[in-house]
Amino acid sequence: MNNVTFEPLRWQEDPVRITVFHDTEYRRAYYQVTAPRDPEGICRGRPVEELPRILTLLSPSHHLVSAMVLDKLFGVDPPPMALNMREALLQAQFFSHHLRKLYFLLSSWHDPFSDYGRHGSRKELKMFPLHFLDEIMHHQALSQEAATILGGRPNHPLCAVTGGVSRFLKEEYYQRLSEIAQFCLKFAIRLGGFFRDEIFGDGKALEGFDAYQIEPMVGLTSAEKSGHVVLNDPVGKTNDPFSPDMLFKKIGLHQASWTCEPFAHIKGASENTTEKTPGESGNMFYAEFPGSNPQFFFVGPLARLNSQDTLLSPLAEEERQRLIEVLGPFPHFGVVAAYWALLVELLQSAEKMTELYVTEKLTGPAIRTIPSEMGQVGHAVLESPQGLIYHHYRTDQKGIVEEVEVLGTGSANNVLRCLLTQKAVDISQARGETWKETQNRIEISLLPF
Amino acid sequence: MPNKKIAIFTATGCRACENAILDIHYQVSSLAHCADIIFWPYVAGSQWSDLEKQENIDVCFFAGAIRTAGDREAALKLREKSRMMVACGACAAFGGIPGLSNLNRSGMVGGQPQGTTDNGQQTHEEGKPRGLPPLESRVSALSQIVKADYFVPGCPPPQNFLWAAIQSLVCEGISPARLTFAASRLPEAISQAVSAGILPPKGSIFAGEKAVCATCSRVKEEKRFETYKRSYQDYEASGRCLLEQGLLCQGITTRGGCGGLCTAMGQPCRGCFGKAENIFDPGAKMVSAISSTFDSEDAQEIEAIVDGFVDLLGTFYRYTLPTQCALLSAPSKDLKHE
Repeated sequence: MNNVTFEPLRWQEDPVRITVFHDTEYRRAYYQVTAPRDPEGICRGRPVEELPRILTLLSPSHHLVSAMVLDKLFGVDPPPMALNMREALLQAQFFSHHLRKLYFLLSSWHDPFSDYGRHGSRKELKMFPLHFLDEIMHHQALSQEAATILGGRPNHPLCAVTGGVSRFLKEEYYQRLSEIAQFCLKFAIRLGGFFRDEIFGDGKALEGFDAYQIEPMVGLTSAEKSGHVVLNDPVGKTNDPFSPDMLFKKIGLHQASWTCEPFAHIKGASENTTEKTPGESGNMFYAEFPGSNPQFFFVGPLARLNSQDTLLSPLAEEERQRLIEVLGPFPHFGVVAAYWALLVELLQSAEKMTELYVTEKLTGPAIRTIPSEMGQVGHAVLESPQGLIYHHYRTDQKGIVEEVEVLGTGSANNVLRCLLTQKAVDISQARGETWKETQNRIEISLLPF
Repeated sequence: MPNKKIAIFTATGCRACENAILDIHYQVSSLAHCADIIFWPYVAGSQWSDLEKQENIDVCFFAGAIRTAGDREAALKLREKSRMMVACGACAAFGGIPGLSNLNRSGMVGGQPQGTTDNGQQTHEEGKPRGLPPLESRVSALSQIVKADYFVPGCPPPQNFLWAAIQSLVCEGISPARLTFAASRLPEAISQAVSAGILPPKGSIFAGEKAVCATCSRVKEEKRFETYKRSYQDYEASGRCLLEQGLLCQGITTRGGCGGLCTAMGQPCRGCFGKAENIFDPGAKMVSAISSTFDSEDAQEIEAIVDGFVDLLGTFYRYTLPTQCALLSAPSKDLKHE
C-alpha cells in the first residue's frame, strides 16, 4: 500500500499532518494533530483569576469565556456596561476571525505576497481587483484596532476580569469605535456583493466544492436566551437542551493514540446513527469506539445557522435568505454553505458592532462587581467565532486551580475534520487530480470550520 | 538589491505571532517588494521541500516554544538554512506560557508521548500513520536549541517592533523613515543601526531599554508594600501604581517598550518582554523588591503578608520559566554557533 503525507497544512490553528494510504480501490486519510496544547497542565496550580490571561493561548475568545467562569465561581454579576464591553469585544473578534478566513480563501487563488510589478502577475488576476486583499487586511486592522481599544490587545486580550472589565474606556475612544463600526459594516456589505458575484453559486469560483459535504450531523450550540447548551439534530428535528454544567455528562472526549486532539462525541448510542465499520472508507476513527455506536457533532458558524430560524440583524438575515435561495433550506453540511455562513456572521457582527459601539452602551457607573466570597467550582459556555467553547474549573480553598476541563473547537470539530479530509481525498482522486491539488482541496474544505 | 528570502514558522504556540505579522495593517503584502516569502506554511502553504530547495534563507522569524521532537527538528533545519534567526514572541524568546508545563510534567498527555515507545522511538504500524513526534522532557525556548540572532519579545510582539525588525533585518534600512514610530522606543544602538541602514548587533532585542515602570502612566508615590492583593479583589483600576496597591505587578523587572500596555488596562504586568537589562533573575528581583518595601517591621505582620502569596513561580516566570529562572532554566546556545 502506498501513502502520501501532507505536512504542514495551510491555515490550521494546530500543527496538522495528513496521511493518505491508498491503492487502486482504497483510500484512507488520517487527520493528525501533532502537538498538544495542554491547557490543563499549564493551568493547574495557577491562581484561578489568572486563567483569562493564560487561556488566550487557545484563542482570543477563551479569554471571555474564562472570565464568565470566574463570575460564576465568585458568585458575581458584572454590571451592564461591563457585559456590553465584553460583547463588543466578542463582536470585534467575530469580524476579525471571519474576515481573516475569507482573506485566506481569496489568497488561495492569488498569492498575496507575489510581487505584482516584478512578476507581471497583475494581468493574470481577473477575479478581484488588485488592491482587494489589501483592503480586506485594512478592515482586518480596523477590527483589530477596536479589539485593542476594548481588550488591550487583539490576539491576547486583557480586559475581562472577575465581575466585569478592568477599566473604563477613554473619552476619545467612543468616536473612534463608532467610526470603525461604520467602516466595517460598509465593507462587509461590499464584500457580500463580491462573494455573491464571484465566489458562490453556479459557475462561480467555489462551484467545484458543491460535492464537498459530510453526512448530516448534530450541531452543538448555545441558546442565547436560556443560556442552555443545545444538541440540534436537524434531520430528526429534535433538540436536546441541557444546562452547561451537564456538558461533560453528555459529551465525551476520546483520546486516540495517533493524534493529540481528542475526538468529542455524544455519550450513549443513538437510534438515528447507522452502524459504521472501521474498514469503511472515511470511518477510521470508528475503530476507536469498538462495540459502540457513537454519535458525533460539530460546532461553528454553520452549526449555528442550522439551528436558527431567523436572525435579528436585518442584513445578516437578508444574506441568510440569499443562501437559502441558492443552496436550499437549512440544514446544510457542505463547504460552500460553511463559507457562506462566515459571510452571514460577518455581516451580523458588523451590524452588532454598530449597535454596541455607541457611548450609551459603553458607559456606566461601574466596571466591576467586587466579589465578597470565593466558590470553588465554575463553568461557562460561549459561542466564539470558531464555535461553542466550554470551560470548567475547580479550585482549592485559596483559589488555586486543581482541575480544568476545556471543550475547544479543535476537539469538537475533530470528527468533522476527519470526515471532510476523507471526502476531499475521495472526490479529488476520483476526479483524477494530482496530490498537490488534493492537498489544496483539503485545505479549502477545512478552512471554514 | 535582490529580494531577501524569508521564512516564518511557529512551533508550539498559538499562531498569535504569525497573525501579528499578518496584521501589520494593510502593509503586509508590501513585504513582496523587498522579500520573497519562501517558507510560511500557515499562510502561504509552503512545504518543507520548498525550504530544502533553497541554498539559504536570509531571515527566519521563528515563533513558538520547543515542545516536541518535531519543533526541535524544525528549529535545527531552519537554523541551518538561515543567515539570521529571529526569536519572535515570548514563546520563542523565553519559553512563553507553554513553558509553565515544566512545572507540571504529568500534564503532558498521560506523562508519555502518544504513539511512542518507552525509548522515544516512533511506533509505526502498517496502514496507520506515523507516530506523533515525541514530547521533549521539558519545554524550551528557541535559543536553548539553536543560536538566535535577534529577539522580538512580547505576547504577541507589538506591531511597531515587528515592523522595526522587518524593516531593519529584511529591508536593511531601505526606508528608515517608516521606522520613526518604533525607533523612539528601541535601544539607542539598535535605532542608530537601523537608521544607518546597517544590521543591529547580534543578540539585539527589539524592545525598550528600560523597565516597564519607566513608561507606565500610573502614579508612583512611595514604594511600600502594605498588603498583598489578588486581581479579583478591590483596587483602583486607574491612577495609582499597582504594586503600591499590593498587586504583584512585574513592571520593575520587565523590559519595557510596550508602553505599559497591561498596566494601562488596569492589569498587572506579567513580564512577556522578559527581564530588563542588568537583572539576573526576574523572580528573585521581585522577591527582593517586595520584601525590601514591606511596610512593617513586625515579624508576625510580615509573615501574614507572605503567607498570602500564591504561585509566585507561575506568576514571576509566567512567560520566562524555561530561560530566566536561574534554578530551573537550561543554558542558551552560545552565539558562536554558525
